[in-house]
Amino acid sequence: MIRFEQVSKRYSNGHMGLDNLSFHIKVGEMVFITGHSGAGKSTLLKLIMCMERPSSGQVHVGGQNLRELSGDDIPHLRRQVGVVFQNHQLLFDRTVFDNVALPLIINGTPSAEVGRRVRAALDKVGLLSKENLYPIALSGGEQQRVGVARAVVHKPALLLADEPTGNLDPALSAEIMSLFEDFNRVGVTVIIASHDLPLIATLDHRMLTLDQGRLLRDGE
Amino acid sequence: MADDKQKTSAKRGARAPSGAARSRHSWKHSLRSWLGSHRDSARQAFDRLRHNPLSSAMTIMVMTIVLALPMGLAVLIGQVERLGVDWQRAAQLSVYLQDVKGEAADSLLERVIALDQVADAQLLDAEQALAEFKQYSGMGDALDQLAYNPLPAVIVVTPVSIEGGASTLEPLRDRLAALEGVDQVQIDLLWIERLTRILALLERFTGGLAVLLVLALLLVMINTIRLAIESRRDEIVVIKLVGGTDAFVRRPFLYIGVLYGLLAGLLAWVLLAIGMGWLNSAVREVATLYQSDFELAGMPAVDGLTLVAGAMLLGLVGAWLAVGRHIADIQPE
Repeated sequence: MIRFEQVSKRYSNGHMGLDNLSFHIKVGEMVFITGHSGAGKSTLLKLIMCMERPSSGQVHVGGQNLRELSGDDIPHLRRQVGVVFQNHQLLFDRTVFDNVALPLIINGTPSAEVGRRVRAALDKVGLLSKENLYPIALSGGEQQRVGVARAVVHKPALLLADEPTGNLDPALSAEIMSLFEDFNRVGVTVIIASHDLPLIATLDHRMLTLDQGRLLRDGE
Repeated sequence: MADDKQKTSAKRGARAPSGAARSRHSWKHSLRSWLGSHRDSARQAFDRLRHNPLSSAMTIMVMTIVLALPMGLAVLIGQVERLGVDWQRAAQLSVYLQDVKGEAADSLLERVIALDQVADAQLLDAEQALAEFKQYSGMGDALDQLAYNPLPAVIVVTPVSIEGGASTLEPLRDRLAALEGVDQVQIDLLWIERLTRILALLERFTGGLAVLLVLALLLVMINTIRLAIESRRDEIVVIKLVGGTDAFVRRPFLYIGVLYGLLAGLLAWVLLAIGMGWLNSAVREVATLYQSDFELAGMPAVDGLTLVAGAMLLGLVGAWLAVGRHIADIQPE
């Protein structure tokens, strides 16, 4: 599903985001990326999303070499990926329903289908009763769950999450993680960048540990 | 993922073999979703205007004034020009006679009619000329004080054609002037020519003004759309993150431009129609003084429609100029 081959990312200010990183994540895996802040977790996710381009090396996503992707192809790549952000990236002038519907609207899903799938996604994260509220009326944990619903509503084969539990208390964090495990169980490849080591330790998944852009450890 | 990938590459022209039925279905699906997206964009544009009623109204009003000014001038000039053309068509030559009367005058009239450039000619003898002058000049009382009739007899000549203006009538004038018993020939066309020149000058002025104002309109539009884009920066970032194309992001803003143009165009039309009506009563009074039943034709529907269409086009172009680079520059970080 994801293959990094000797990938380096040097920023214009000289900072090394990633340094000669190679790994492979198979279809259906659930993987944690950990490391101190600045270790390269976000850079790694950004490369998969084509928000950044590697300085050297190859990134393959779903068999596609991202180097061969032109600017016009990037939206099509992103439609096949679901992303959850630490700060949710919700639109506060739209209802919960409209926020979750956004990926479906963008890929041109018929409107009858939109309603059905948005409700299914909201049901999955336990927010079906709040579809008509605005995100501001929700708690932090609920907002994050809306973010998760939006990330999965178009049934992506790959789900990325960048510090999805960053601002949540341990109970809510565990709840979000178990949601990700549910998606993984139905075949979605899940990659989660997180430095919440205590929480990760309770879960039995592969873990890539980064340090200063290099792969420090790859294992359970 | 692998399956999705295949679909995408088929869409992008790799043309995986597929049944005709399926491709027709997907063609219909794409068209429907494309139309749906346009409908959504139009609705979003409308909502946007509704949610900022004050700033939208001000923008539309500025655009309305900027549109109405050159259009109003152009319509006015067009109507006065038409009046000029009418007068040209009615152009006549006045042939003032020396002291010729009775049969001599009649035979002179026959000779004038015989000229091949003359369509028609009428003799007004001195008494008739005086009566007409009294009626139209408003100096009847003063004329009654005169002991004698100061006016000569006149033959009023209508030429066959006046295409090409006063200069084409000069040969005819020369021939008429050469006739025996003719004192003087006057072409009642010169002042119309002057009017035409003045109108051409005004037209050019209006054209220049229109160019400047169109430019102003585009700047207003660009600025408005840029502000709209800035205020939705977060939204654009999110849309791009979940796979929205530049075209998808751009579309609502283009609709905003078109919508502004439409509303400003319609409003300018209404403004001009009211303005013309308001001017018309005054114009009619002036026209009456000149024994004319001229009046403004109001705002012609064709001009109104042109105005609205032009305004929409300008809105679109302005929005396009604003979104062009700006949206491509907004990228998720």
